[in-house]
Amino acid sequence: METFWNTIAAYNAATWPAQLLLTLLGIMLVVLLYRHPTAGVRLAMKLFMALLNFWIAGVYYLIYCEPREYHGMLALFWAVMGTLWIYDLAVGHASLHRTSRRNGFALLLFAMPLIYPLVSLALGRTFPEMTSPVMPCSVAVFTIGVMLAFSERVNIVLAMFLCHWALIGLSKVYLFGIPEDYLLACSVVPALYLFFREYIDQHRSQVTKPSTRVLNTLLLVLCLLIGAFFTVTLLHQFDLYSETI
Amino acid sequence: MKTQRELHDTLDFIATYASYLLGSGVHTSRVFRNSQRLGASQGIDIQLSSSLKNIILTARDTEGGEALTRVVGIPALPISFERNSDLSALSWDAVDEKLSLDEIRQRFDRLIDKPRMDPIFVLLTVGLANASFCGLFGGDLTASAIVFTATLVGFAAKQRMQAHGLNHYLIVIAAAFIASLCASAALRFDCTAQIALATSPLFLVPGVPLINGVIDIVEGHVLVGVSRLINALLLIVCIAIGLGATLLMVKDSLL
Repeated sequence: METFWNTIAAYNAATWPAQLLLTLLGIMLVVLLYRHPTAGVRLAMKLFMALLNFWIAGVYYLIYCEPREYHGMLALFWAVMGTLWIYDLAVGHASLHRTSRRNGFALLLFAMPLIYPLVSLALGRTFPEMTSPVMPCSVAVFTIGVMLAFSERVNIVLAMFLCHWALIGLSKVYLFGIPEDYLLACSVVPALYLFFREYIDQHRSQVTKPSTRVLNTLLLVLCLLIGAFFTVTLLHQFDLYSETI
Repeated sequence: MKTQRELHDTLDFIATYASYLLGSGVHTSRVFRNSQRLGASQGIDIQLSSSLKNIILTARDTEGGEALTRVVGIPALPISFERNSDLSALSWDAVDEKLSLDEIRQRFDRLIDKPRMDPIFVLLTVGLANASFCGLFGGDLTASAIVFTATLVGFAAKQRMQAHGLNHYLIVIAAAFIASLCASAALRFDCTAQIALATSPLFLVPGVPLINGVIDIVEGHVLVGVSRLINALLLIVCIAIGLGATLLMVKDSLL
């Protein structure tokens, strides 16, 4: 746990100007995508998303998390996600065509990378040993927000990667005592439901088995089960805190 | 006695029927039996010879003695036991109800047009099945949960790559790599990580070609049986390459 926080402190202390720049760039691109969703802005956003993923893979994991075990594996995981954005760009996938739906939830997710450090401060941490806007979980939440707000056709592979990351992220609550990561877990469950439901709606014209209604119900049940699992974990976490106190 | 046109039509239909059966994952002798039964219902003797990619059919009018031969490709269709069962039942119906060729063709078209399984439903159920495999092999709840999401990622990637028409062997290597890479997250936890890693690419195991290969050899179709087994073996090697790449990268001592 000490290694974990030391690596985060080293990363934040050395890269805060770059993180600030990336955060401002992200805000600017989100605003531009809402107001002027031109082909150039979409291209810029995809490149920015690829850059963010490669940043997490290269700068965060390979350089600053080197003392941690399996940092290479996690770097590879993020590099694959970065490659998915590049692939998305290369094949012209309609992944950032504004849909103007679910803006409220998406805006909340966009705000999450900024809420993460505030939660850290509220939990009594101080800079640089705290979560920051350009860290894996913040980037994951931001990516979900981008996909929810602007995706015409959801990239299911990327959505599955983020779902997997949320599950891993949940473990950090126990292993490293970062309750902030519940924010990611809580965002993923409704996002996952919305991604799948949108996918089902898009393919409504194709006659498949089981029917759309059955599929939607199954999806709802699955998401409720995952949500219940997260809730139980959260309550268990509260028990752990009360035992410590 | 059949006219030339009738013989042509019947042979063309049976060739399509046989290729659909073989493409949907039926073993060779069953395809032969069903096609011959269908031919017999129309008063035509059918003889077949099959390889992994093509099927050769000869139809001979049992009364007139005239014969025709067709060579058709076997389409790469999704494995469907429901379709296999429906098409087999159709050959029995043709005999029992003495159906005409037009009636058989209409029923065939209706069976082929039956709705397919939704890809999202398949994705979720494959994830659950693979997580259950992990549990069966002794994995704990954490490992099973990780295998579930790792399978979702690997299978979704496989579906997308298939939609883009990538080489089948490359798809299997990439899907095995992605699924095992995701499952390697289990190494960070206090859980049965090795079982999670080993079971994560199990959804790629070519079970149907393996079973059909053995059945074909046992029933005397040795060439096509061996071809199927070699094909299945290549896919297993591809899984091993994908899994091996992950093991080399994340924990070299595991390989």
